[in-house]
Amino acid sequence: MTEAKKKSNKFDFRGLLIETGTQLLNYLIILSISLLIGALVIFLSGKDPVAAYAALWKGAFGNRLKIADTLDRTTIMILAGIAGTVAFRTNVINLGLEGQLYIGAFSAALVGFGLTGVPSYIHIPLCLIAGLIGGALWTIPVIYLKMRWNITELVTTLMMNYIGIRFTEYLIAFPFKDPEARMAGTPLLEASARLPKLIQGSTLNIGFIIAIVIAIGMYWFLFGSKTGFEMRMVGLNKDFAAAAGIPVNRSYTLAMMMSGAIVGLGGAIMVMGFFGRFLGGFSSGYGWDGMMIALLAQNHPLGVLPASLFYGALANGALAMQSATGVPQSVVVMVKGSVVFFVTVTVFVNYIKRRLEKWAA
Amino acid sequence: MSEAIAVKNITKVFPNVIANNRVNIAVNEGEIRAIVGENGAGKTTLMKILYGLYHPDSGSIHIKGVERKLSSPRDAISRGIGMVHQHFMLVPSFTIAQNIVLGVEPMKGLFVNEEKLVKSVKEVSARYGFDINVDKLAADASVGEQQRAEILKSLYRGAEILILDEPTAVLTDMETRELFVMLRRLVDKGKTILFISHKLREVLEISDFTTVMRNGQVVGTVKTSETDQHQLAEMMVGRETIGGRIRTTCYAKDTVLKVENLSVLDSRDLLAVDNINLDLCNGEILGVAGVDGNGQEEFIEAIMGLRPIINGKITIEGKEIQGLSTREIRESGIAYVPSDRYRSGIAIDAMVWENIITGEYYSKPYSKGLTLVMNKIITITKELVEKFQVSTPGVKVKTGNLSGGNIQRVIAARELGLENAKVVIASQPTRGIDIAGTEAIRQILIDYTSRGAGVLLLSADLDEVLALSDRIVVFYGGKISDAGYWDEGIRDRVGQLMTGGLGE
Repeated sequence: MTEAKKKSNKFDFRGLLIETGTQLLNYLIILSISLLIGALVIFLSGKDPVAAYAALWKGAFGNRLKIADTLDRTTIMILAGIAGTVAFRTNVINLGLEGQLYIGAFSAALVGFGLTGVPSYIHIPLCLIAGLIGGALWTIPVIYLKMRWNITELVTTLMMNYIGIRFTEYLIAFPFKDPEARMAGTPLLEASARLPKLIQGSTLNIGFIIAIVIAIGMYWFLFGSKTGFEMRMVGLNKDFAAAAGIPVNRSYTLAMMMSGAIVGLGGAIMVMGFFGRFLGGFSSGYGWDGMMIALLAQNHPLGVLPASLFYGALANGALAMQSATGVPQSVVVMVKGSVVFFVTVTVFVNYIKRRLEKWAA
Repeated sequence: MSEAIAVKNITKVFPNVIANNRVNIAVNEGEIRAIVGENGAGKTTLMKILYGLYHPDSGSIHIKGVERKLSSPRDAISRGIGMVHQHFMLVPSFTIAQNIVLGVEPMKGLFVNEEKLVKSVKEVSARYGFDINVDKLAADASVGEQQRAEILKSLYRGAEILILDEPTAVLTDMETRELFVMLRRLVDKGKTILFISHKLREVLEISDFTTVMRNGQVVGTVKTSETDQHQLAEMMVGRETIGGRIRTTCYAKDTVLKVENLSVLDSRDLLAVDNINLDLCNGEILGVAGVDGNGQEEFIEAIMGLRPIINGKITIEGKEIQGLSTREIRESGIAYVPSDRYRSGIAIDAMVWENIITGEYYSKPYSKGLTLVMNKIITITKELVEKFQVSTPGVKVKTGNLSGGNIQRVIAARELGLENAKVVIASQPTRGIDIAGTEAIRQILIDYTSRGAGVLLLSADLDEVLALSDRIVVFYGGKISDAGYWDEGIRDRVGQLMTGGLGE
């Protein structure tokens, strides 16, 4: 009995080693190839790829403040990535993160400038909750259409993006216009609604810590809780889950709303920490980045953390690269695209796994 | 008469199943050959091989005596093989004529020569005496017309051998008769027809010879004029029983599951279950036989709350369960082993432990408050894995990595691990499991009955139904007929009922 037990434990350990090794090597290869492709393009356009990448690195991690700024950019990436993860794990195709982000951001701003005379420790949580609720509410039409007529969320979430973005544009152009602002936006938030900074001279704020806590919390939720278990089983095989008695519709609804809420919270943190007000068109596609990050992380909440850091660093470094070497930012888009491509097609995984198994045996 | 087409020793293996096992068939020119067998007998695989969609692992195909490799449908067409699928593939916005020539249009420079197109189609249609308006849009054509268009499509491409996959499944009786007249005419013109079906009555009417397949093998070929439904049914379901009947006593006492006037629609909104009544007693194994697609799946799904019912009442020990959620139905005492294990029996990408606890994860001792209690879960699932002899390196292994038989054991461990079930619905519970495992699962079902539960046993394997059941009912065309209690003659009665024999 004990011998058999030992044997099975040993097997698991080796399997785990191969599994993690495969993943790590896979990402390393993908990253190298993608960066090489970027370098090739830079080279072909007559620029020096080494200098460009050096500028990119310096822009993202050059000094303490640069690192802090990169982490600030990583914050929204984490939340958008987690939002994607919780939906995709349940096989809910939420392509509406961008719209939910805007609504969440606007809701937070509304509470941020509309409510006055309350202390920070009340005002900040209220704004964050507004962001959560705003993002979640924006998914309700989608859920209704799915439940009532079985209309796929793939289409409806996509459409809700445009409605959300244009709707907030309308709100800041008319009812909530701030005549003093140079760009179209709401009035500035009350000081009591601004998120405390973590480092002087950087925009990095307490939102970063919230994002990390949410990522870890999501890990527990998906793999340690009853409801998370239900959602994962629904995501793996809906028919199976239904036959086993799992309430499939409830899981769907919950996954969609959690996804909207978390990305909405991301919007709230951007408004409360970075901009100080809601600005029209403020997001440079963070919702879409979130989906890619979830894909990169293979829908693992902890995998979202490094993937987000990668995205955040590329985003911040790209600006520095462009201004220092004249290499356009779009090279970075290409690198990101290549990474997503290679992760999706999983060309190397089987090869590495075979080699590792041979090596371990 | 010379040989039109022959397959020699064709073998095709899919993961976990031998779809065709050394199949030999030879068909002469001008013959209508029926190929019959239950679902999963290997008919469709064989036809797909003949049409170049699948490639055999071994064996050869001979067309007019010459060995040919068919690597694609294009190859097959160029060798004179045409296939009419069960589901028609016509472009609705094109006319019948345009559909027929699609891909091989007569051209005038860069453009399609519409005039010549219609003329050439009419020519072919007239040659075989087809009654069809080729200028009609495919969208407006009746099912019968669409089928004729499909047949013409093959003929237009020079088909000498026509494969018809369940051609009458979608037709009315009238249309079927017309089809048969047409097929006769084609054969008179020297064409050869392979006719796949499991409707024995039609097979007897139209074919010259009938080949029966079972479990991927050819059971035999008989001259149709010298056989009858009875013999064919017998050949289809098989004679030899593995293990034999193992029930000896019947414990039946009170009704535990009662179904009254139940009607259910299928996914296409057609009536699949037609006003069915059924009583399952405690201590009884009730076998449910029938060729796939006669309503038994929908019937089970309706009981489990997975499919809405139109009308009817379902009670467990007097408590109504229709309209309840699947979980509530399970909690009122039903264990359920679904038939299509990959579709609804298992999540192949989930771990073994996850699959085992899916029915009960929300209750003690698997969870506490909001959380899953992992160490309890692992201990219990390990015990179940051992009890059900699942061969796996551990419970934290992806279920999809196990073999089909072991996956079935995982399902059994989840569903039959609960000892307090009052009703067990087991659909194909031993499919793909080896003999030892089969015996073990059968024993578990019998143990249930001795504890007073009722077992509803569905199986495509008639031998299994016969081996275990006290009583057998048969689904045919959404209706249920009672084959009665087990006795020496039950196999014959069931075989007849399965093909609608006694009902008509």
